[in-house]
Amino acid sequence: MMNKPYMGKILMVDLSAKTVTEEIIPDDVYKQYLSGMGLGAYILYNRIPAGADPLGPENILGFCSGFLTGTGSLFSGRWTLVGKSPLTGGWGDANCGGTFSPAIKHCGYDAIFFKGISDKPVYLYVKNGKAEIKDAEGIWGLDAVEAEDKLEKMYGPKAHAAVIGTSGENVSLISGVCTDSGRIAARSGLGAVMGSKKLKAVVVDGVQRIGVHDPAEMKRLSRHCAKWTKFPMPLSLLPGIGMALMGTFLRITPIMFAQDGLLYKTILKKWGTGGMNQMSIEMGDSPLKNWDGSNRDFRLKKSGKINPDIIINTEIVKYHCHSCPLGCGGICATKGKYAHTHKPEYESILALGGLCMNEDMDSLFYLNELLNRAGMDTISAGATVAFAIECYEKGILTKKDTDGLELKWGNTDAAVALIKKMIAREGIGDILADGSKVAAKKIGKGSEAYTVHAGGQEPAMHDGRNDPGFNVHYSVEATPGRHTIGAHLYYEMFQLWKRVKGLPRPNLLFFKGSKYKTNEEKAKASAACSKFMSMANGAGMCMFGVFIGIKRVPTFDWLNAATGWNMTPDEYMTVGERIQTIKQAFNVRHGIEPKNNFISKRAQGNPPQKEGANKGRFVDVEKLAADYWKEFGWDPANGKPKEETLKRLGIM
Amino acid sequence: MSYTITEKCNGCGACVRICPADAISGEKKKIHSIDAGLCIECGACGRICPQSALLDEKGSPCTMIKRSEWPKPQIEIAACVACGICIDACPVGCLAMSAQPRSKGVDPFPYLNDARACIGCGFCSLDCPMDVITMPKPLKA
Repeated sequence: MMNKPYMGKILMVDLSAKTVTEEIIPDDVYKQYLSGMGLGAYILYNRIPAGADPLGPENILGFCSGFLTGTGSLFSGRWTLVGKSPLTGGWGDANCGGTFSPAIKHCGYDAIFFKGISDKPVYLYVKNGKAEIKDAEGIWGLDAVEAEDKLEKMYGPKAHAAVIGTSGENVSLISGVCTDSGRIAARSGLGAVMGSKKLKAVVVDGVQRIGVHDPAEMKRLSRHCAKWTKFPMPLSLLPGIGMALMGTFLRITPIMFAQDGLLYKTILKKWGTGGMNQMSIEMGDSPLKNWDGSNRDFRLKKSGKINPDIIINTEIVKYHCHSCPLGCGGICATKGKYAHTHKPEYESILALGGLCMNEDMDSLFYLNELLNRAGMDTISAGATVAFAIECYEKGILTKKDTDGLELKWGNTDAAVALIKKMIAREGIGDILADGSKVAAKKIGKGSEAYTVHAGGQEPAMHDGRNDPGFNVHYSVEATPGRHTIGAHLYYEMFQLWKRVKGLPRPNLLFFKGSKYKTNEEKAKASAACSKFMSMANGAGMCMFGVFIGIKRVPTFDWLNAATGWNMTPDEYMTVGERIQTIKQAFNVRHGIEPKNNFISKRAQGNPPQKEGANKGRFVDVEKLAADYWKEFGWDPANGKPKEETLKRLGIM
Repeated sequence: MSYTITEKCNGCGACVRICPADAISGEKKKIHSIDAGLCIECGACGRICPQSALLDEKGSPCTMIKRSEWPKPQIEIAACVACGICIDACPVGCLAMSAQPRSKGVDPFPYLNDARACIGCGFCSLDCPMDVITMPKPLKA
């Protein structure tokens, strides 16, 4: 065992040639990119030829473990799936927790990459540094949970599998990769890339130890972090309806307060992400009725049916990802076909619920498990159904097109039936299985006006008209539509100004209207979120963990204790800047015009809504994006990284 | 660093069978060797070798211990944060996370699921960030 937190090697698997090659990665690369998303971006930028078909043999799919994973740090168990996205045509990544991240490293590798296409279904089995491409007969065709169970039973208690479900096999462009019976790297449509390669699963089964420079300091920092994670807050005594009323208050009050992540961690600990279900609707954070409705369409009586207390009443036990002291997940008992499911996340509930005007909680539990097993992204699936319902309402789709389904707002049975068709790629489901943008192209008849996407990807259930920061990141990230990078709220919670020089400290109290003003401070805050989260995704940190605050969840200090590099927070932010910029350079190389990734006009508030929480709100995405690009040293006119910026960051 | 095998080895293969890292190889009845790149220093080979033919990572000789006397993890659940690091650290997968909540609370808890598989390496205890795992020797019946 070495006293460094990375294994120093990657595995490159060529599925066409059926070869497995071990490669040593120079230390310097880790210092510049960490591992996880950073190493993934470095490899893919350098190796995928411009214009490669995302579903062709030249695309590379990478399973990258976090740099801090397995080092005794907490909240550091996340891995990143990387590849060129078939959904957006540009950079693709998806983040996932569970137990898979350390398992990659225990095999002796920081990441495993796949290129080529197999002529028949296969899976990769890696045991203690030896890798073998195996025939996937008997596993291909199974759903994600069945396939994972089968593989893990076959290889014993140390084996961990990442698998695609049937949606990935069917190359659905909104499919992802699953681990741990329902943790899913769902975004960017990378399940389709895995399916196109005819790769059913990656099984890692190793025991290599992961070292650190200063184990005692790692432990000291982890104790400090655990203390803050356990910090008692009176909020935990509130019932779910209290959260809803807090949302109502936040909607009515003209004055907002800067939020401390300790509030959100308390919500996560008690309810999980679903704690926000009703509150988000009330305050205008959650889009409704395909982004055209408002809280007035989904009032408390209706949203009460998805109250978080109802969800945790079914919870058997909390679920913690690797190295997580918080445990926002849970295992829930459900009625009907499946005995239990991972507790449905906020995003899944609101995409399949509020966005489709569906308040039937039983159906949401069922769809959650159904989609996890199929390996289909719940956000994109829900958003695509909402799009289809609006097309039906507008007469663009008729009963004849839908094979008799009455696609009306809140028709739960029709929504469930439609999703089953999407999973099976049957009838109208075949058209919708690749997300709303592709579907609109096939349907035509002006249906494009009812899609809400950024660069082809459906955004998450956070309305940028309520927090304009979301609209910035939906529009400027290399993975457009992404909600796990930045927002006004996130900037407040990260508390980066406490460690990083020159970052603005938000006012404790402020008028809501001030969020919509565009100025340099806003651009600085957005850029800081992107840099920090790119770095954190390299480190394998959980966003919910880092929400607690940079001093309490000491990411920079863990990195130094693990490596002995003694880098400053500013230097780590430069690592994030490099990762963010190389992803952007990847997009430019692959012909993406950054401006075309801006979120759909409806979600920008153009035209503004006439009623509800976000009445009259408009977010000037063009101006905000230009300011953001300038902050990064990218051309403010078109978002392309300038030569001098690439040079400064050492990106060739 | 790595464990090493001395010429006292008679090639019985006990260490090969117990090594969780697939680090030991050798022909039957001939001196075995350890791949230093794979050895994780769990010490199972040292505890099982009837010939005392193992040197630990510092070069000190290991002595055989009866398997029933190998230390086993004891977990103080009250202070455990359920982070699962112990389960991940275990090289033989003998620890598991409960499917039910602990008696006081909603979180699951790690437990020794397969005591016979435990090799007494103590990695769970070493890696636990909260230091809630000890490795006492089993009490004699």
